[in-house]
Amino acid sequence: MKKLVLLMLLAASPAFAHARLTSSDPAADAKVKTVKTITLSFSEKLEPAFSGASLLDAAGKAMPVPSSVAGKVITLLPMSLKPGRYKVEYHSVGHDTHRITGSVSFEVIP
Amino acid sequence: MLALARGLYFCATLLLFGSSAFTFLLRTRLPMILPLRDAPLRWALLLLALITGSAWLGLAAAAMADAMDSQVVMTTATDTLFGQFFLGRIAALLGIGLLLALRRGKSLIVLLSALALLLPAATSHAAAASPAGFAAIGAITDAVHLLTAGFWIGGLAVLLLLFRRAEPNMLLALSLFSDWAMVAVLLLVMTGLINGASILLGQEGKASLLYLAALGVKLVLVAGMIGLAVVNRFRLMPKDQETPIARHAAMELTAGLVVVLVAGLLGQLQPLQ
Repeated sequence: MKKLVLLMLLAASPAFAHARLTSSDPAADAKVKTVKTITLSFSEKLEPAFSGASLLDAAGKAMPVPSSVAGKVITLLPMSLKPGRYKVEYHSVGHDTHRITGSVSFEVIP
Repeated sequence: MLALARGLYFCATLLLFGSSAFTFLLRTRLPMILPLRDAPLRWALLLLALITGSAWLGLAAAAMADAMDSQVVMTTATDTLFGQFFLGRIAALLGIGLLLALRRGKSLIVLLSALALLLPAATSHAAAASPAGFAAIGAITDAVHLLTAGFWIGGLAVLLLLFRRAEPNMLLALSLFSDWAMVAVLLLVMTGLINGASILLGQEGKASLLYLAALGVKLVLVAGMIGLAVVNRFRLMPKDQETPIARHAAMELTAGLVVVLVAGLLGQLQPLQ
């Protein structure tokens, strides 16, 4: 039994009790030339009904962008982004019902 | 409020399952002990579970959506894993109500109360923090944790009711409870350690001080409960000292219910920063 417990602990992959952002593409504060897809990856499966993200331009105005939530990932599909700073605001809810909000900013350069 | 609703739901379902399971055990193993007249208590626990379970759904829906209206509650109930398991819990509780009204199906009541108690394990911290992402591992250890805690706490409640009516076969009942409770407490501690380790050690991040403080309170109280149980089993029972045993059992039960309320809070706190 002791061995089993140790094995389970050693085999544990990084996970979190709430659905936290683990990575994004573009990464936070990245400078990129083109962006066709924005992906936000979370630590656990999301509840699509209560998770989502929106894209804001430099003036803080929300842009109409198609988005989807599947598994641990939120995807935004901007058609084309002009040079400038952008912010993605997200809210994530995992199966444990906890809501987490946050944002990721990046810059499109000419 | 959410932590309170959660804690009270667990208090009600732990007592409902544990008292049903130990009463069932008494009836099959010690038929000379006459059945308890505990129907009012079971109805009260059932009502508490239904009210706090529904409050839990409403408050969780408001927290998830950051808004509150009937559509949010409906979406939570039908479109989220938590909501789907909530519907399962409510169905189990309504089934218990039907069986209590019909005064039959005692073994089925044990099964349904076990379901109402363990289904929240599927959306627990332990399930979310399962090794390698296999949520079933954490859900199973959490379910065993809940069921064994229920047997311990609910069994103590039944023992106190037997003490109150001056049951002539009290020592037999104590002995039966003690044998089963030792196994239950062993499993409870083991699954608690596994859950705690996977939540706090198997993850990246720094442990939250508030979470650790609440966990510390829970562990101290559980250690005290185990201490009282050991004194009862190995010092007082061999000497047939029923009065101090009853006093210790009441203290254990009170501490146990406080532990459950603290666990309700733990389920709402962010373990890691």
